[in-house]
Amino acid sequence: MKRAIVLAVVIVVAAGATAAALAKPSATGSASAAQAVSCKSTLTIPFVTPLTGGAGFIGTEQATWAKYAVKTLPSHYGLKIKLVFGDTPVEQGPAPALALAQKYIADKSVVAILGPSTSGNAGASTKVYTQAGLVQLSPSATHTELTIGTPAVPYIGTPGFFRNVPGDYIQGPTDARFMINKLHVKKVVIIDFQEPYSVGLADIVESTLKKAGVSVTRLSAPNTTTDYSAYVTKVPNDADVVFFPTQKPPDIQTFGQQLLEQGKKAKLFGGDGSNDPAHFTIAGSYVSNFAPDITSIPADAAIVAGWQKDNPGKVVGSFGPPSYGAVQILLEAIKKACIQGHGSIQQRHDVIRNMKKVRIPNFILGGTFRFSTKTNDPLNAKFYIFQIQSNGKYKLVG
Amino acid sequence: MDTFIQLTVDGLTLGSVYALIALGYTLVYGVLKLLNFAHGDVFMVGTFIGFGMLQLLGGTSNPLVPVWLLLVLVTFAAMAGCAVLGVVIERFAYRPLRDAPRIAPLISALGVSFFLANSMQLLFGAEPRNYNTFALSGGALYLKGVDIGSVRVPLLRIITISSAFALMVVLWFLVNRTRTGKAMRATSFDREAAAMMGIDIDRVIVFTFILGSALAGAAGVMFALRVPTNVAVGFIAGLKGFTAAVIGGIGSIPGAMAGGLILGFAEAYTQGYISTKWSDLFVFSILIGFMIFRPQGLLGRADIRKV
Repeated sequence: MKRAIVLAVVIVVAAGATAAALAKPSATGSASAAQAVSCKSTLTIPFVTPLTGGAGFIGTEQATWAKYAVKTLPSHYGLKIKLVFGDTPVEQGPAPALALAQKYIADKSVVAILGPSTSGNAGASTKVYTQAGLVQLSPSATHTELTIGTPAVPYIGTPGFFRNVPGDYIQGPTDARFMINKLHVKKVVIIDFQEPYSVGLADIVESTLKKAGVSVTRLSAPNTTTDYSAYVTKVPNDADVVFFPTQKPPDIQTFGQQLLEQGKKAKLFGGDGSNDPAHFTIAGSYVSNFAPDITSIPADAAIVAGWQKDNPGKVVGSFGPPSYGAVQILLEAIKKACIQGHGSIQQRHDVIRNMKKVRIPNFILGGTFRFSTKTNDPLNAKFYIFQIQSNGKYKLVG
Repeated sequence: MDTFIQLTVDGLTLGSVYALIALGYTLVYGVLKLLNFAHGDVFMVGTFIGFGMLQLLGGTSNPLVPVWLLLVLVTFAAMAGCAVLGVVIERFAYRPLRDAPRIAPLISALGVSFFLANSMQLLFGAEPRNYNTFALSGGALYLKGVDIGSVRVPLLRIITISSAFALMVVLWFLVNRTRTGKAMRATSFDREAAAMMGIDIDRVIVFTFILGSALAGAAGVMFALRVPTNVAVGFIAGLKGFTAAVIGGIGSIPGAMAGGLILGFAEAYTQGYISTKWSDLFVFSILIGFMIFRPQGLLGRADIRKV
């Protein structure tokens, strides 16, 4: 009996210790975060983004701009930066992002995270990063609840999560208002892709359209869907628009071709995740994006020319420039933390504390960049609407 | 009624591709009793070979040969490439393990699957490849076709469905009306007895891999003519093909054809009439239902063992 009691106590203590260890995944990170890092040493910024899989086009475009930023900007700040990449294919869910988080937290030279690029991964890993004091700055995660709560869904972000692009709470109403005011829609079909970004954006557009008296049919496709014929069959012949927010542009292209195949006249409308002139080319369709065409901003001419020299033959897209801007914002915050720490970053959290002090005039996306005082979103940022022309070019229309 | 016709055409298109993939699983299982989990990735490689051939022939915007010849050459290139790949896989991943416990080749198959997917990614990147068949003849393959009521069945679907059925007929003929087919059936029935009767088992197995992989190549092109491909498409396609093979009765050739069509129709009708959201759940519930109530599948034979 005595042995049984001792054994039970040992098991309970062991289970408690294990639970405590699991409940504090950042323990190692916190310990390492407590050690000061010299600003003269090479500091690491990991970029957590999908480089492979269906959304691989996002990460590969972002990577070219982030590399160019790290090549050209750190010397202006007196910093040495090493950029590393963490691949998070969207098909694998949040598991790769969480594994990468543990790896980066344990690495003392990591002082900030660029990304995660996708909303699902940003939401899944932000608590772990923030507990370890690491700032995350996403150049493309737009899911509303990452920075603010809504009556329907509570806030899922953390004080350590920032983004330099506006959220879907701006994108959704922008898209819906464009449909109502410019396209004069009466009937809209909305298809979500059963993942956080897509469902969140679809919900906002649906609610805005319904409030304006527009008839909405809601469909939902698993994000492994390849053939949309049956979905297209469900699109009424008199539907004006099909809104399909996906992070895989080839899917919206397929949907568009199948709409034409079945003789449906509805216009396609995609969110920022579909903004890819290489893969979404159905003439007459619309896409929204958080970045304007930066080639039309005179102040960006030198940056664009430098990037094109490093990336011959590549076209300036919409996902890349915010990544350049994100690197610049992080460098500003790191520099401020270094000055406060007299040449070293005393704690990783010091970078978080300096994020809202960042001001960048002539920002790559236009104007002066600063964060809102109320949220960790950029101040006065907005979404833009493009229409795909018959030559495949995206024309700014709203 | 129009919706029903449209969904039937959708199901038939999907189902014929699933059936071709399922045939590859069932052929190999029938002869080797091996679940070739690399088959989905052979299908994926087929989509890439087809894409490469398409580019060699000028692409869809400016093809160097007539459209019909372009489609034939692309399909044959994918079939031939996949057949060679199938032979290589059999020679290096499965033959050395032929007499090992059954778990060993199964693990080897999974390894080959990952090897193919990752190698293709390293070689060609993660970017999706779009055959862009819409550009062929000004979209004629999509916009022209046969009208059933007010539903238009586009040319591309007619080509997909008829080619798949033609390949199934050829396969049936090969297996049931040729000496090699007879040898395959004998090997499937009892490998040792077949060897004792003078059948070259190695040759039969290689031929089986050639057939199964060539069908995967053809399925890959039929799939990618309508939908963009990438290095990850093999997983889901393989899963659906495997499900079709199990539903039809793995090891049974008519079963694989039936299983593929059932799966295609189930997917299309579920999405059309029940819910787009739950279609995968419904489709895989059919698989679970078969596993519980008829594990040998529709046309498979129950595995009776003497003890």
